[in-house]
Amino acid sequence: MNIKINKKEYAAKDGETIFVACLRNGIKIPTLCGTKNSHEGVCRICVVENNGRLITSCNTKISEGMEIVTESENISKARRINLELLWADHAGKCVTCKKNQKCELQNLATEQKIENFHFIPRKEELTDRENLDLLKDNRTRVVVDEGNACISRTTELCVECRRCINVCPTKELSFNHRAGDVVVGTPYEKPLDCIFCGQCVKDCPTGALTDKNDLLEIIGQLNDLKKMAVALIDPAIMDSVAFEQEEITSQRKLIATLQSLGFEKVFDLGFGMELALEKMTQVVKNSTKNNLMLSHCPSFNLFIEKYYPQFRKNIIDVTHPDELMAEFIKTEYAKKEKINPEDLMVVSISSCVAKKTPVKSSSPSEISKGGEAYFTGQAGSPMAKFDGVKNLDYVITVRELGWIIRQQKIKFEDIGNADFNSGLAVKNEKIKDIIKAGKTAEMIAEKLKVKYIVADGVPQIKNILRDLDKGRVETKIIEAMVCDGGCVNGGGQARQI
Amino acid sequence: MEKEIKIITKNWGQINPNQIADYIAVGGYISLEKFIKEMTPALALEEIKLSGLCGRGGAGFPTGMKLESVQKEKSKEKYFICNLDESEPGTYKDRSIVDCDPHMLLEGIIIEALIVGACKAFIYVNGNYQKQIAILERVVGQAQEKNFLGEKILGSKYNLEIEIFVGAGAYICGEETALINSIEGNRGEPKLRPPFPTQVGLFGKPTAVNNAETIANIPWIIARGGKKYATIGSKKSPGTKLFIINGSVKNPAVFEAPLGTKLSTLIDEYAGGVQKGKEFWFAQVGGSSGRLVLKKDLNMKLEYDREAKVSLGSGAILVIDKTVDIHELLLSWMSFFRRESCGKCVPCREGTFRLWEIAKRLQDGEISERDVIAIKDILWTLNNTTFCPLGKFAATAFGDAINNFQKEIYRLSK
Ligand SMILES: Cc1cc2nc3c(=O)[nH]c(=O)nc-3n(C[C@H](O)[C@H](O)[C@H](O)COP(=O)(O)O)c2cc1C
Ligand code: SF4
Ligand code: SF4
Ligand code: SF4
Ligand code: FES
Repeated sequence: MNIKINKKEYAAKDGETIFVACLRNGIKIPTLCGTKNSHEGVCRICVVENNGRLITSCNTKISEGMEIVTESENISKARRINLELLWADHAGKCVTCKKNQKCELQNLATEQKIENFHFIPRKEELTDRENLDLLKDNRTRVVVDEGNACISRTTELCVECRRCINVCPTKELSFNHRAGDVVVGTPYEKPLDCIFCGQCVKDCPTGALTDKNDLLEIIGQLNDLKKMAVALIDPAIMDSVAFEQEEITSQRKLIATLQSLGFEKVFDLGFGMELALEKMTQVVKNSTKNNLMLSHCPSFNLFIEKYYPQFRKNIIDVTHPDELMAEFIKTEYAKKEKINPEDLMVVSISSCVAKKTPVKSSSPSEISKGGEAYFTGQAGSPMAKFDGVKNLDYVITVRELGWIIRQQKIKFEDIGNADFNSGLAVKNEKIKDIIKAGKTAEMIAEKLKVKYIVADGVPQIKNILRDLDKGRVETKIIEAMVCDGGCVNGGGQARQI
Repeated sequence: MEKEIKIITKNWGQINPNQIADYIAVGGYISLEKFIKEMTPALALEEIKLSGLCGRGGAGFPTGMKLESVQKEKSKEKYFICNLDESEPGTYKDRSIVDCDPHMLLEGIIIEALIVGACKAFIYVNGNYQKQIAILERVVGQAQEKNFLGEKILGSKYNLEIEIFVGAGAYICGEETALINSIEGNRGEPKLRPPFPTQVGLFGKPTAVNNAETIANIPWIIARGGKKYATIGSKKSPGTKLFIINGSVKNPAVFEAPLGTKLSTLIDEYAGGVQKGKEFWFAQVGGSSGRLVLKKDLNMKLEYDREAKVSLGSGAILVIDKTVDIHELLLSWMSFFRRESCGKCVPCREGTFRLWEIAKRLQDGEISERDVIAIKDILWTLNNTTFCPLGKFAATAFGDAINNFQKEIYRLSK
């Protein structure tokens, strides 16, 4: 099929949208609500002209005879007005916002050269007395949710683009109320109590959904001379860290950056992965039971707790690599290096948001009540002892790392390359790819000569669990990762635009 | 007044609407019998196409064409929906049909559903219409007893089930894709089209949605033929229409008049003219989404015509006299849309909210230069970029008022 874009003929593929056809031919159209997987057409920013009429490019399929124009006075006007309206649907608190400089709304306003903002933000406390009197009943209610350990939510910054609603694998979020009163959130505005995969945080264009952490506290500890800061690098983040901070082009560069932030030791999480693999192999070997579920994806564990509690006992009781490694560092490593464990701060830089949940919680609802650690203390559990020291002090995502880097005004010109500290080296480099791509089960199975099943993404997981429930499958081990494609696409990764 | 032609209102006040026997006594369900015993769905469709009937829900889409596209679909599962959401302020024609002659509506629904081959028909009723819901439940039961509905209707091979679906009274749920969402149990907001409901409708199956008034014409057309129907009213849109005339007129009520009747005739002859001592200012035609008609244009004919400047909409006519406060009117329109926007798309959600804010300021006389520019911008984006027509509706009357009554609205001295 042939269509005209900006007066030039192009060959377009049947069934593709105008947006995709343009992109394929190097013409970029601004978008906000549209993502790779959803095109709800709610923001109206991606408008183009077809034979003089404004249409949205993200969800209109091409058809014979289209004459598309991607830049015109009317197109700019539409984008300007809609962005101005949207801007005022959002409290412009850029300076204190975690998404500052990484916010898609902010970027659009800059790109589209929005200079004149006609409307008073309707989700912001007003200071101007005159406006306050005039508009006091025009404020929109803001919902803030700090009731869980992983994700901060505030609708003050939400622009109702619905990306989070569309990406959520368990449909936790919804569009509530109507018209100017819409609130994107949970049913009946209950605190978020989900599997904390973090995909919604990754997709949120603004600061409405952010990773939860006291980053200023981390910075404080980094600057504290008494503290020794240890960073663990999750190998999966290497796939996305450059999208967050383009200067970090290699692992060695990342290590040097972390050192300049104040991390005295930087280790490869691969070490922890080997620990986990070993322990899991051991448990599988010693178990006579079938359908054992590997436990290194915390979201999967929460998913079972919440939706398939009948399989709770199938999950093998080994925690995730980050925690195991932190435990190792605070015990054996500290002893060897003669460091007081209390002076250590272990921070894992992770592709995963769910790892922020305190290890081995009793139930997801307890996690959502607060950030405190809960240990089940089950007999035989490697995590049974809880001696009051938190092993893994913080889990930060790639986005949070970016924020700290920007906050600390790191000058990349001055940063060279560095290598991991010695002492906790990875034995087999292959382990990294194995864990991040979901091949742990395969590895254990080969070693023990048993059968296994692998699933990634909630739809696949549901299928397998349904089959298990019906007794239609029988295997030795099941490896499941909630994020599509495993940790490389984890919720803590930077969004690739 | 011309010789009165009554199609929809012919039994109003003549029969007891609660008695199916009364309706049968005046020739009710004869059309259904005729359809079942003498016609095929294809033949009946032909009559409807000949009649030139077009939708009375607002858009004026040719009914025959819509039914044909659903009839053509091969799917085993198809649906027919009677749109009785009617939530336009000042519009109560569909409600009046249920109040005065519910069996005629039901007969129309059954015939149309059988024409398209639907396995089930829904009546989507505005949840505020409690009394009408009770009436509909009763008449569906009566029709069932007489085997006008159910299995093997009147001994034929046709089966049909009817469900009365009670909506929550949201204006947007009158829009057919939002209505479908609502029945499906989803949030009441419009869906992207294409695909059109005639191909991918309720539960993904081909679906015909018609307004209640459109449907009420069907028994007449089947009984007397499409050709005859086409001679009534205007060439572009044959038939009669229910007009709901409100505001500063002597007799505000629902009237049935041929399409093509002049607006002045409706106001002066049907509704008895402007109330004594009051002076006509303008009329709003088509409900809250309707355009404003000034005195000089009162001669216009009211018909469904895509090219016409003034769209007939649902047929509501609001007559405004010179004592009415324009600011109050602006605010009442915007309060409506600011509440009824589904909130899905940015220009409508935010635009109606801002226009409502500005309308409040206009009322208080506290508007700034910034607001004057904002009004223009918002009206433009509502007209050009919203997801569904509601956005455009919100801009129509407000825009006309700003264009015609600048002096009054901005309190200018000249
Ligand atoms: C915002 C909006 C509200 C609508 N409300 C109604 C309504 O209340 N009743 C109705 O019959 N049609 C309504 N419609 C029109 C329907 O979408 C649809 O066109 C109609 O039901 C088709 O029936 P018809 O062809 O018989 O007119 C509305 C449309 C829009 C855009
Ligand atoms: S963290 Fe994951 S499960 Fe929880 S709301 Fe976000 S996308 Fe849904
Ligand atoms: S929370 Fe973020 S992703 Fe979700 S609708 Fe609001 S702005 Fe969009
Ligand atoms: S124009 Fe947009 S917000 Fe308004 S009713 Fe339609 S879809 Fe909803
Ligand atoms: S990206 Fe197309 S409407 Fe939002």
